[in-house]
Amino acid sequence: MKTNDNPYIPYHATVEDTWFETGGERAIKTFKVVFDDEEVRKNWSHRPGQCAMIGVLGVGESMISISCSPTEGEFLRFSVMKMGKVTQALHQLEAGDKMTVRGPYGNSFPLDEWEGKHVLTIGGGIGQAPMRPVVEYVKANYDQYGGLTMIYGARTSGDLCFKKEFEDMAQDDELSCHLTIDIEEEQWDHNVGFVPQILLDVNPSPENTIAVTCGPPIMIRFVLENLKKLGFEDDQIYTTLENRMKCGIGKCGRCNAGNMYVCKDGPVFSYAELKEISEAFA
Amino acid sequence: MDLDKLRETAAEVAAREDVKYLIGWKKGSYGYRVAPGFVEEAEGAAGLIFSPLCTANLATYLTLVEKLPLPRGQEPDKRKVALMVKGCDSRAVAQLLVEKGIHRDEVVVIGCPCPGMVDPDLLGEKYPETEEPAEVKWSDDGFIIVRDGEETAVPRDELLAEKCRLCRYPNPVISDIMLGDPVDTWDPAEDEGVSEVEDKDVDGRWAYWQEQFSNCIRCYSCRNVCPLCYCQDCILDRLNPTWVNRSVNFSENTAFNIARAFHLAGRCIECGECERVCPANIPLGKLNRKLAREVRDKYGFEPGLDPEAEPFQASFKPDDPEDFIL
Amino acid sequence: MSAMLLKKEKWPDFVGKLTGKKVWAPQGEGEEMRFAPVNEGEAPDLAYGNTRVPPKQAVFPQTETMFRFQVDGKEIEEPQLDQETVLLGVRPCDARSMAIVDKLFGWDENDPYYFKRRELVTLVGLACSEPGINCFCTSVGGGPAATEGLDLLMTDLGEDYLLEAVTEKGELLLKEAGDILEEAGDDRYKEKEKLAQAAAQKIKRSVDHEGIPEGLPGLWEDPLWQRVSASCLGCGTCTFLCPTCHCFDIQDEVEGFAARRCRMWDSCMFNEYSLHTSGHNPRPSRRERTRNRINHKYSYYVDKFDVIACVGCGRCINLCPVNIDIVEILRQVKEAL
Repeated sequence: MKTNDNPYIPYHATVEDTWFETGGERAIKTFKVVFDDEEVRKNWSHRPGQCAMIGVLGVGESMISISCSPTEGEFLRFSVMKMGKVTQALHQLEAGDKMTVRGPYGNSFPLDEWEGKHVLTIGGGIGQAPMRPVVEYVKANYDQYGGLTMIYGARTSGDLCFKKEFEDMAQDDELSCHLTIDIEEEQWDHNVGFVPQILLDVNPSPENTIAVTCGPPIMIRFVLENLKKLGFEDDQIYTTLENRMKCGIGKCGRCNAGNMYVCKDGPVFSYAELKEISEAFA
Repeated sequence: MDLDKLRETAAEVAAREDVKYLIGWKKGSYGYRVAPGFVEEAEGAAGLIFSPLCTANLATYLTLVEKLPLPRGQEPDKRKVALMVKGCDSRAVAQLLVEKGIHRDEVVVIGCPCPGMVDPDLLGEKYPETEEPAEVKWSDDGFIIVRDGEETAVPRDELLAEKCRLCRYPNPVISDIMLGDPVDTWDPAEDEGVSEVEDKDVDGRWAYWQEQFSNCIRCYSCRNVCPLCYCQDCILDRLNPTWVNRSVNFSENTAFNIARAFHLAGRCIECGECERVCPANIPLGKLNRKLAREVRDKYGFEPGLDPEAEPFQASFKPDDPEDFIL
Repeated sequence: MSAMLLKKEKWPDFVGKLTGKKVWAPQGEGEEMRFAPVNEGEAPDLAYGNTRVPPKQAVFPQTETMFRFQVDGKEIEEPQLDQETVLLGVRPCDARSMAIVDKLFGWDENDPYYFKRRELVTLVGLACSEPGINCFCTSVGGGPAATEGLDLLMTDLGEDYLLEAVTEKGELLLKEAGDILEEAGDDRYKEKEKLAQAAAQKIKRSVDHEGIPEGLPGLWEDPLWQRVSASCLGCGTCTFLCPTCHCFDIQDEVEGFAARRCRMWDSCMFNEYSLHTSGHNPRPSRRERTRNRINHKYSYYVDKFDVIACVGCGRCINLCPVNIDIVEILRQVKEAL
């Protein structure tokens, strides 16, 4: 998709709706945005797992996962944690405000290859954002997949993203949805415990299954360990990498993990690929 | 200086159980080059040297080493770092102690009385560097250049570095071990470099620094080599908020260079490293020495002489004659 | 096209023919500093070693405005790049570096700023007759009279320059120069060949890179990285002055309501280069950063673009304040393989 020869020139978009997923100093806010230009809106296409550079003119840009599936409609969703200069500026935006978007960038989850397989997502905190499009995509094309299992956790119930959606999915008998928080809370009727432990409790079969995991590095480490315990092979496991990025198109050099540019060759990697990248777990 | 004595002492220090490593100077990879040498075992001391080419102020490594998070259960290595210092370098150590950038029990200071360094640029211009190793030695009245097995005697004034001509403290001001006898001090030259700029009118000074700062490529080698530029969170790296834009132009370059100079006022110990390492040949020494001169003339203060001194800009006297303070 | 001859006394005429084009040449007092525009009507003196700052700034300026806008506005104004430029006296290593960096800026998607400038620039090279002591171009695929990346190569033959066109742009310059040039006989061409060979023989330093691109990643935890980076100051001298280093940062700068988005050279030797906003840094110390610099040039780039991202110009060695010497590092790498 190109309406512009210069890949560094962003498109203008309007925040149609926005809400907080979590609160606190590092709050997570979700933005539903629509491109201002109708042609851009029509021509835009992205795949689950891809990212976009979103920003505010005069402040800068950040690479953020697109947290919606193209099956959901002609809009984009971004869930942004308030961290630095750009994300602080993004958090100031309300419905009707403008932001800039360019992309989509990077590779994506090979959902075509996964057809016929059971998809298992294991997420922690903001790590669910890049996997949400996978969940939505598989739900929208449910008859083409062998099923969907989700494990998602956060420190407290207040730190869970997409809570309403998850609670609805937890009621859906067709889906296998397991929510967890680290510490017991009143009026919490889901699991309590760390995500890697819940994974062992759920005990998914590795047969004809793809596992996708995103979350804090420490969680990923133990999830990988436990997936191996459950019998998953390296090429059945997928995750995403992140690094500091500036250009998004493999020029600025910042995001390299070993010989890979995370912005172009990633962000999605199978565990089999990651093991070959010297800097992947740095 | 007796090199055998130096190496023997360094080997003893490096072997000490309470010493992590020793930093000295060693022969570089070619020509006149001298490189910082990190010695962990006694044997490593055999490669150390002290010559008129040992211009590098090694005190910067005391604060340059990253403090990385330790793996769970691992104790931090609290052993000392041993450091070889010339007179000017020792002032950096003293100033770091004043500022509590380091603590006295973290370092072993090995003092090297210094007859003066050569100016590497002057040396290269007059006696071009070769790929083969070359060296420079001190003689009674100057330097001896050894290239291709041939020795050339050169009078001291011909090659002596500017900072050394101006030097008032060739002997280390603090040390735990002193190598050899103190050198005879010399009458420091008038700082003509600073005076020349001072003598210009405002427009002349502006034009002068405009030309200089326009050449800056913002590699930050001056900041990184400076033993007293060790803020964990430097305003130049800060992007939120942005104090100095990263774009490279006269305005931002000036903001950077002036910010650094101001932060060194009353702290710069005039080791001249900033000017030596600058790939754009900006005469940073003049800038920093100007502020040092102001502090010396107006307040009678010289940094880095007494490790027990009050930090110049962070001390307050109740009987201060200026009433604006209270 | 056959080689042409330019009498040195006609050098100002040759430069005078470059009308309408901005002429850049090495400028600076004492030590030649960098390529900069030549005043109109002047013929630059090319008798110099190499510039400290490589000519990459002509196609990849240290700071480049990407676009301008008004704060709270929607209009985005791209800069007009249309000034044709001729760089005189580019050393073959530096021209070759552009051919190498082209691959990065052109893979998958073209970088518009870089290629616009690249189209507008004509590189007139000057063969080296007196290589510097840290030159090692011959061992990394270049040479004192190599033409890769150049449009025209000049060789100093004493009283004359020998001019050889490499590309159409170079041919065009020769055509424009017209009758101030003379046909060069075979003997003058042979003279040049001989000079080039003699210059190549003066190059003392070399890198034996066989096995290094494949072997480097296997040395990930080797103690050599700690050893070679212990004295590193973490400054940007080696990377900023490297003709193949191409990393950049992007920043928005606002003055009043006028603002611009610009990019500027960045250095992988800086701590904040890879620092995440969370505070995590995948390359937390100079050891990891040095390892990345060497791996990037001698392994990752080879892996991706099939060429070593080092042209052997020796700048990083000449100008490192603490004598970190890439030839020496690669010797240790080779030893550790």
